[in-house]
Amino acid sequence: MPSNLTRRQSLKLISAGLTAALLPAGLLWAQSSERLSKPIPSTGKTLPVIGLGTWRTFNVGSDPQLLKARTEVVEAFFADGGGLIDSSPMYGSAPDVIGYALKRLGIPASLFSAEKVWSPAGGSVREQVARLAERWGVQHFDLMQVHNLTDWREYLPALREMKAAGTIDYVGVTTSHGRRHAELEKIMASEDIDFAQMTYNISHRDVEKRLLPLARERGIAVIANRPYDGGSLIKGLKRREQVPEWATQEFDCRTWADFLLKFIVSHPAVNCAIPATTRVDHLNENMRAGRAPLPSADTRQRMIKYIESL
Amino acid sequence: MSDWSSYELQDFIPFTADVYFRLLDRTNETFWPLHLLTLAMGCTALLCALSGRARIALLLIAPLWVFVGVAYFLQRYAELNWAGHYAGWAFIVQAGALVLIALTRYGIERPPRLLNIPSLAGTLIAALGLFGYPWIAPLSGYSPYQAETFGINPAPTAITTFGLILIVLRGTAMWLAAIVPFLWLILAGLTLTALGAPWANALLVTLVATLLAMARKNALEPEAHDKRRPGDDGDHPHP
Repeated sequence: MPSNLTRRQSLKLISAGLTAALLPAGLLWAQSSERLSKPIPSTGKTLPVIGLGTWRTFNVGSDPQLLKARTEVVEAFFADGGGLIDSSPMYGSAPDVIGYALKRLGIPASLFSAEKVWSPAGGSVREQVARLAERWGVQHFDLMQVHNLTDWREYLPALREMKAAGTIDYVGVTTSHGRRHAELEKIMASEDIDFAQMTYNISHRDVEKRLLPLARERGIAVIANRPYDGGSLIKGLKRREQVPEWATQEFDCRTWADFLLKFIVSHPAVNCAIPATTRVDHLNENMRAGRAPLPSADTRQRMIKYIESL
Repeated sequence: MSDWSSYELQDFIPFTADVYFRLLDRTNETFWPLHLLTLAMGCTALLCALSGRARIALLLIAPLWVFVGVAYFLQRYAELNWAGHYAGWAFIVQAGALVLIALTRYGIERPPRLLNIPSLAGTLIAALGLFGYPWIAPLSGYSPYQAETFGINPAPTAITTFGLILIVLRGTAMWLAAIVPFLWLILAGLTLTALGAPWANALLVTLVATLLAMARKNALEPEAHDKRRPGDDGDHPHP
């Protein structure tokens, strides 16, 4: 009770209140270096800000050695409190490889399964979802997205029916590489969707102009794909540069993964970034970026200028 | 930003380099020592081609195209890339085309002229596919288990076949028999480029050299027809 608070406790409370007021909307953390989560606008359920992408990296077929290696990546992801894993029938054997890992590790409570329906996969939406559930070894998916907006007029109503029936929890659409933004904007403005997935990283910021503000306005959660621009961004930085000292001082940035991922997830409209990797050490770097503190708005501008100056 | 300009080459390759080289590892582990037999068949086919037994040369390599189509593409590569199904069937069709040419003798060089540029180039290219290609990966710092061999892996099979058809075929048959090897070597070269394999350019250079040699052979065709003796066929050793 206030009357029982010491002066020190009162100061702490005021300080915490001020900090919360200055944070990007919806960002939750208990104290410095704790794992960050953001609420999904349509339900309020929180989602860790660093997820796991699987494009290229999880397409290993039936190779036992690589299946074991990817299982170790998934194990490390969940050991660090990971949530969202994103895949697609377009990613070859990736859904089977996730299923292999989940079968061996068990399905953790934190799993937020995100898949996609995709025209070339064939079959109706329900058939595609059923096949994917079998490949993952899960009863239902948290999020089902329309891959690259293909046939979205046909797919979205079917997905909404499945959401109403409880077969899936959330409905979304995806784009990548900055493509089809006009159409995505139209869908976000007019359709009832929970998630929109798009490419957003420090060197591709087109979505800041219209799509991210629209997502906030419409209460749509955003998943940022290609956070390292397909790997070329972080590889180029690691080859040429050290992380700037001011970044370390301002938001405890120790690696380029910190720098690039914290830039993305510190945008108020972005819920989650989904870096993909084949290596546990890289996964651990990625997961560290999901911990406080995040860069402030001013620091974000400084980060952009720094990258543009290279 | 236009849709296509936003793509990079690696966006079309749905797996990483470690997955590709593990595929080579696994294929070699599974089929060793079949490599010795396929190499022996390739060497025999080259000797047959050079000695005027064109039909035997084509019939020797046709089953290896089926084997690569099924064992490499349909059973393994297609797990990683949906395009593997199409490539597998294309290799089987190529085998059918080689058998058809051998049976009908359509476009078979009679008799082979060994000392012209296309035939010399064909011999060199076939030798590269048989004896040079398996060394490329190990010499580039990759594991010997990732070596690619004629009759087991598609690239050396396509290169060796390019060499053989330069020696034993002419005209339309030569160009038709080159379609599938040509398409695969383009795809393989681009794949290796995206995966950062240092010999990707060597593959594309071999492809261009083969096409130049084929064009040269085409240009020599009228002269060759004039000098051809009536009754020559491709089933007998060159005198």
